[in-house]
Amino acid sequence: MSKTVANVLIIEDEKQIRRFVRAALEEENCQVTEAQTIAQGLIEAGQSKPDLIILDLGLPDGDGLALIRDLRSWSDVPVLILSARTQEIEKIAALDAGADDYLSKPFNVGELRARVRAMLRRRARTGEQASPLVEFGAISVDLSRRLVTRQSQPVHLTPLEYRLLSALLSQPGKVLTQRSLLHNIWGPTYIDSSHYLRVYVGHLRQKLEDDPAQPKHFLTETGVGYRFQL
Amino acid sequence: MKRQMDGKVSLLDQATDKFSRWQSLALSVLACAGTTLIATPLLNYLDLANIVMLFLLTVFLVAVSLGRQAAILASVLSVVLFDIFFVPPRFSLAVNDIQYLVTFAVMLATGLITAHLAAGLRQQARESRYRAQRTHALYQVAHQLAGALTVTQVVAMTHKFITNELKTKSAILLPNENEQLLAASLESKAMTVDLTFARAAFEKGERVYNKELGNMGYAPLYLPLRASMRIRGVLAVQFAKQSQETTDDLVSLLEALSSLCGVALERLHYVEVAQATEVKMLTERLRSSILSALSHDLRTPLTAMVGLADSLALIKPPLNPMALEIAQALQEQATRLSSMVSNLLDMARLNAGKVVLRREWQPLEEVVGASIKLLGTTLDQHKIKVSLPRDLPLLNFDAVLIERVLCNLLENASKYAPPNTDIILTAHVQAREVQISIADEGKGFPDENRENLFNMFVRGESETEHAGTGLGLAICKAIIESHDGRILADNQASGGACVSFTLPLGSPPIIEQEAP
Repeated sequence: MSKTVANVLIIEDEKQIRRFVRAALEEENCQVTEAQTIAQGLIEAGQSKPDLIILDLGLPDGDGLALIRDLRSWSDVPVLILSARTQEIEKIAALDAGADDYLSKPFNVGELRARVRAMLRRRARTGEQASPLVEFGAISVDLSRRLVTRQSQPVHLTPLEYRLLSALLSQPGKVLTQRSLLHNIWGPTYIDSSHYLRVYVGHLRQKLEDDPAQPKHFLTETGVGYRFQL
Repeated sequence: MKRQMDGKVSLLDQATDKFSRWQSLALSVLACAGTTLIATPLLNYLDLANIVMLFLLTVFLVAVSLGRQAAILASVLSVVLFDIFFVPPRFSLAVNDIQYLVTFAVMLATGLITAHLAAGLRQQARESRYRAQRTHALYQVAHQLAGALTVTQVVAMTHKFITNELKTKSAILLPNENEQLLAASLESKAMTVDLTFARAAFEKGERVYNKELGNMGYAPLYLPLRASMRIRGVLAVQFAKQSQETTDDLVSLLEALSSLCGVALERLHYVEVAQATEVKMLTERLRSSILSALSHDLRTPLTAMVGLADSLALIKPPLNPMALEIAQALQEQATRLSSMVSNLLDMARLNAGKVVLRREWQPLEEVVGASIKLLGTTLDQHKIKVSLPRDLPLLNFDAVLIERVLCNLLENASKYAPPNTDIILTAHVQAREVQISIADEGKGFPDENRENLFNMFVRGESETEHAGTGLGLAICKAIIESHDGRILADNQASGGACVSFTLPLGSPPIIEQEAP
């Protein structure tokens, strides 16, 4: 199934967690490197050039955020955060610093494998020529012609709705924080006006989802932000 | 007015006079006699007119040094002595020349006027001396009160001032937590305070004076201890003597004192508030750091347990089906344990009453969708029907917490309703709130004990096959109440359970329309 073996770095201080994460990754045909501290993690990240980093935010020797910022200055390797469910603020900070996704503890192996697969797939695709055509459900979006159709019927979107849609589509699977979306689409003065974002995501769901109350593509990460899923 | 004047004089005399009243009258007589003795040998050399001058000088000196009464006595005595010893015929009251009557009249009038003026001057001097003294005393007590560290010290200092400076009895009444006035200290047991009058002074913030009360042995004067924020208590004063009444001076002195005392009490109150806040902050910080440490320490092994149980299925060669089933059961139990731990920690956090709500204006639809997504396979056996009005306004709530409420309620419904039935989530706008209801087609809540369902560790059925800690609804209640909403459990006419909660409507921010 796998053409090239993906290289994954786990930075986690708890031995038993490393153990089952490693087992799950090896099941996905990944080659696994382990680190127990931030310092060790940075060294490994530089040496083994991983395709994915799994990072526990609660490490004993310091702040995982610092590692992400440091890493982002020289690498765009995807980072998956492991964090407790209640710490939304911590997750937001990590995502804003450049992390790509998060898993709330405790998580099961199936969930972990699904996330890892999705992230590796995305990374593999970044090299390819991006297609201007995105299709999900009954919707098809032609980014080159700014055309959105639903079952071949054109759907009218306002300029802001279209900008929000293309921002979400540009990074499928990735969690985009409220702050970053507000900043990119409405501008820095709207960073605290989260109701704009929420109302416009609602519009997109009304126009593009089968059941807006139970969306399948424009997903809410409560307290954190949004994720577009193909 | 006359009484007041007398009172004032007596109060001042107490403090300043060297001689008693009788002593000064005797000295006045002596002075006049002395003048007569000195003037008699001079009669051959001086005119009578000049002798009169000597007497007038005496009256003036007596007035300045001995006061009004002595001066009046000296005036009268001077006229008499002048008549007897100097005006012919000497040694008799009779007068040869009628014109001497004019001399007598002028002499008496001049003497009396001089006496009055000199005595007035003397009194003014004494009063200003007294004022200076009083100001100094007030300054000192202000200085002391500024350094007071306890209420008891403030009360003692105030009493000491009143006792030393005014020689009267006093009491200070302070309000307790229920705003009831209580005597902080009665300086003397002989003193009685009328609480009705004290209360009136406290509530109106004005001084209350009732003379009858004084006659009945109660303190007649009540002064509010006024500070910038509020009235801090009442000072009751009982005068030592009946003559010592409420002169303006005395009252303004007492008012100055009671405002000093009030300010000192207010300062102590705020010191206390600041200290209490600091202690509370420290406690809060400790509590939250314990909670987060606990939540990290408990979650780490639970995460390992869930993951390790899961990864048993990955072992090669594969385990036999029996072992895999056990691994699955292990995983489920660990997941359940983890959700119970989450519930307990959340409840502890909510119970501490210090959960900071991250309220934002948002559509209800979104958090409903997120909750259903989060529960995932838990709801597989039921059909969730969501019906929300299209024109539902934005609501101001903490998305994470309301998601928690919806998850708990949906999970409960799926636990208690038979498989393949509907769970219905509806919302409708009422007067000033939105009511959200989750109804199922199960057996409903038992009739008894329904009020207690929202208490901690209470469960609908005590002998239930369903797992749980009985914290779910208690957490919902705590969250909804922190949002100023209500939550209640009921059964539908058809028999299924229905839990409803409300969220206030408020006024949502306006979204600017963009040009299409």
